[in-house]
Amino acid sequence: MSTSTQVTGVDVAEAASTPPVPLAARTRGLRKLYGRTVAVDHVDLDVPEGAVLGMLGPNGSGKTTTIRMLLGLVRPTAGQVSLLGHPVPEQAGHALPDVGALVEGPGFHPFLSGRENLLRMAAAEPRLATSDIAGAVADALERVGLADAANRRYRGYSLGMKQRLGLAGALLVPRRMVVLDEPTNGLDPAGTREVRAIIAELHAAGVTVLVSSHLLAEVEATCTHVAVLQAGSVVAQGELAELLESGSPALLVSTPDGTAAMEALRSKRIPSRLTPGGVRVDLTATTPPEVVAALVHAGVDVHEARRDRTGLEDLFARLTQEPQGEVRS
Amino acid sequence: MTEVATAPAVPVAGRAHASLARLVRAELRWIFRRPRTLVVLGLLAVIPVIVGIALTLVDSPGPPGGGDGGGESLLATAGGNALVLPIGTLAMALGLLLPLSAAMAGADALAGESAHGTLRGWLLGPVSRGRLLLVKSIGVAVFTVTATVVMALTGVLTGLVINGTGSLFTLSGTTLSFPAALLKVAIAAGWVALQLWAVGAVALAISAWTEHPMVVLASVLGGVIVFSVLGLLDALDWLHPFLLNHSWTDLGDVLRDPMPGGALAEGALRAGCYIAIALSLAYARLSTKDG
Amino acid sequence: MNPKKRAVTVAVAGTAIGAAGLAVMAMPAGAEEAPELPPVSAQELVSSVLRADIPALAGNVRIENDLGLPSMPGLPVLDVESARVYHDGDEGSRIALEQGSSELTVVQNGGTVWSYDSAENSATKLTVPAETREHRAHAQEGFSDPTSAAGQLLDYVRQSSTVSVDGTASVADRPAYELVLTPKPSERTLLREVRIAVDSETRVPLRMSVLTNGTTEPALEIGFTDIDFGQQPANLFQFTPPQGATVTEERPRAHDERMPAGAIGEFSGEGWDTVYTGTVPADLTAAQDTEGRDVQSLLDRLGKRVSGDFGSGYAIETKVGTAIVTDDGRFAVGAVPQQVLTDALAQR
Repeated sequence: MSTSTQVTGVDVAEAASTPPVPLAARTRGLRKLYGRTVAVDHVDLDVPEGAVLGMLGPNGSGKTTTIRMLLGLVRPTAGQVSLLGHPVPEQAGHALPDVGALVEGPGFHPFLSGRENLLRMAAAEPRLATSDIAGAVADALERVGLADAANRRYRGYSLGMKQRLGLAGALLVPRRMVVLDEPTNGLDPAGTREVRAIIAELHAAGVTVLVSSHLLAEVEATCTHVAVLQAGSVVAQGELAELLESGSPALLVSTPDGTAAMEALRSKRIPSRLTPGGVRVDLTATTPPEVVAALVHAGVDVHEARRDRTGLEDLFARLTQEPQGEVRS
Repeated sequence: MTEVATAPAVPVAGRAHASLARLVRAELRWIFRRPRTLVVLGLLAVIPVIVGIALTLVDSPGPPGGGDGGGESLLATAGGNALVLPIGTLAMALGLLLPLSAAMAGADALAGESAHGTLRGWLLGPVSRGRLLLVKSIGVAVFTVTATVVMALTGVLTGLVINGTGSLFTLSGTTLSFPAALLKVAIAAGWVALQLWAVGAVALAISAWTEHPMVVLASVLGGVIVFSVLGLLDALDWLHPFLLNHSWTDLGDVLRDPMPGGALAEGALRAGCYIAIALSLAYARLSTKDG
Repeated sequence: MNPKKRAVTVAVAGTAIGAAGLAVMAMPAGAEEAPELPPVSAQELVSSVLRADIPALAGNVRIENDLGLPSMPGLPVLDVESARVYHDGDEGSRIALEQGSSELTVVQNGGTVWSYDSAENSATKLTVPAETREHRAHAQEGFSDPTSAAGQLLDYVRQSSTVSVDGTASVADRPAYELVLTPKPSERTLLREVRIAVDSETRVPLRMSVLTNGTTEPALEIGFTDIDFGQQPANLFQFTPPQGATVTEERPRAHDERMPAGAIGEFSGEGWDTVYTGTVPADLTAAQDTEGRDVQSLLDRLGKRVSGDFGSGYAIETKVGTAIVTDDGRFAVGAVPQQVLTDALAQR
């Protein structure tokens, strides 16, 4: 499983070229120039089928540009994109019917009601028979909680309602993949929870979801996979759980006798430091079983031993602040 | 399409495009639901009524028209004539108002949709760029036809109410039967609509290049003014056949009996050339543009 | 094909087609090759023209003048650039003169001539009395033998001109003979030649061009730009005034009424240098045109001051003719240089 973890600057990345899981979307060497500005460069993104991949990055890191290239809206300056097995943008038309997307915020006509806006959008959906359009629109409105406001003009919608309508547009048809660009933008906590619930539902139904966000908590809460972008490049990507552990590996040991534990470890040349309620053991040169064995051998009571999850926040902060070359796994 | 076969719950399997008719219906519903469209159509409908009433109040043919103006001097004869009124007002409105309406439709079609972010919705449908341009062109065409027909109809009605059915006569003094007069008005409206398609096509081309609808309107307005000025300069008469509005004053030919077709046919051909140029440029831009 | 390439291809192709179409329209109608026609003598040609009845036709006549006249706003006759002409092959004819956005229509059917002005919505009915028409018909019988009539006409014309058939031309897509009248060297005239294109089949004159010395383009040209021979709908030659039209009925004035008293002039000279001299009617001198300018100021603008043995006055020069109006109200007009006019005036 660890082979799908990839962090730029580390040779392990090469192992990621033959992932065991089929990919719903994949980019290689993606590059986009706007004039002389590099928006995106060397983006090799893998979105495993069935995954919920969170694309994390500060504003301006190239998330939206990458998504637009993935959907065939923007032609890459260089590199390849494959979406549901079809080359994009050449054959985007074959892939897009199965992809729902909310890109760059919701785009609707202010003078039309939410329902009319969705009806107009639904007219372009090849997967919808004309007779099914009205029903599909009603279902989508229901799903995002806009059924009551469906006949009000879009102009009068709150930011959250607009965002939900955009989400409804992406969910008009059962999809194989859903791409959501900053889906919780402008939503209140309740709305955010609803979006998370929808993403979870999609995930449960086997739909691949690509969510972009600059909010770490959101990605941490909803995603199975993460890709971190910084200044137009992917600086880390892989399964969420592995990336969480990929900080400085450490073991947190709860013990009533921390000093004894430190001494026992020092005799084995295992670095550690005292923490409230126990010790934190550096795993760079050792493994958890060895640590536990050493402690037990020295007669130290071990109440609990768990991997120290540095948290995605820490990782994100390190990845986006440090120069790439210093990023360590 | 094995991809589709494996996809779960696919209502309409195997279709990569929504049908053109459905897109056109959605486009037309959108155009005619837009308040701005309705306001413009309403204004255009009222113009012949205002002109008709004004001419009745003034009740004297103006000074015999100089050779230049198209609609204006035609209107001088529209006072007691139910046939000249609709065609004269069309000729007058063709000077500026109708081209601006066509430009508005073209501006909203691409630039306006880009500005709202709604164009993306259809591109992701997916609707291919070529089909998108086709649907948009049809939308603009239908709107301009509606605009001319609305104007022509209220013109005919106003003329008939003010002057009666006996007042349908040509510039050559021939009194026409009602169906024959309607046919003339239809020819005039059709020809005007064709000219407006050319304007609309140019507007679409500009529209494909910008995200600001006002840029499209301003360009078309500026273009109409510049073309009119160039058309007045005798020193540039080699250039005149290239100007779209060169033949706009020939609309009055419809009112002559028998109808001389040469200038009108040339105007129609000119409009066709503009449509070919503008739509091909619009396609080139739209198909390579970032969505 | 990659989309960029396809986009460029489409753009180039569409623009090329459109631009080509516009260019074709902008291109002046190229001079067509002179058609090959069996040779014909001037006499044969003239007699065949005199013999020919005008068949039923519909056509567009274009009037182009490059008279070199100073621009004169308010001279409606010069506004006319084209006219549509219809003839039923018998007694009916219809002429529609386009003046900007209005139209002047003249419909003749036998003895009735209607004219209708759309700008004023006014119609005038002129009834030519039967005896006048018979008189004309009688006069035409003098030409009953076109061959001898042509001979007489040519004899007269040849006193001052060279008449020849100078090749062929294509006018309104029809092959035509070019009949050319050239003044003899002794004639003192501004004109170089007058060319008349005669349809090779129907012998209807299709075009007349007046060329002056020192120019290659005709100073005045009247000709069909297109013409169709064939039966025309009968209703073209009927006219009923429309609703609301002001209708006036006129009868032709007797012959001596036609010329306003006091304006009667006389011809002097013969052939190309004929000069018409006379006295300007007093009421015209006092008249003002519609925009309030009097004749004097009009002369100031159009003419230049001249003086000599004849006195002094204004000379108005165009490419095809000259006119002099003297301060004491005499005038002289002719297709001649100014000198010929002053001579003629001095002799009066």
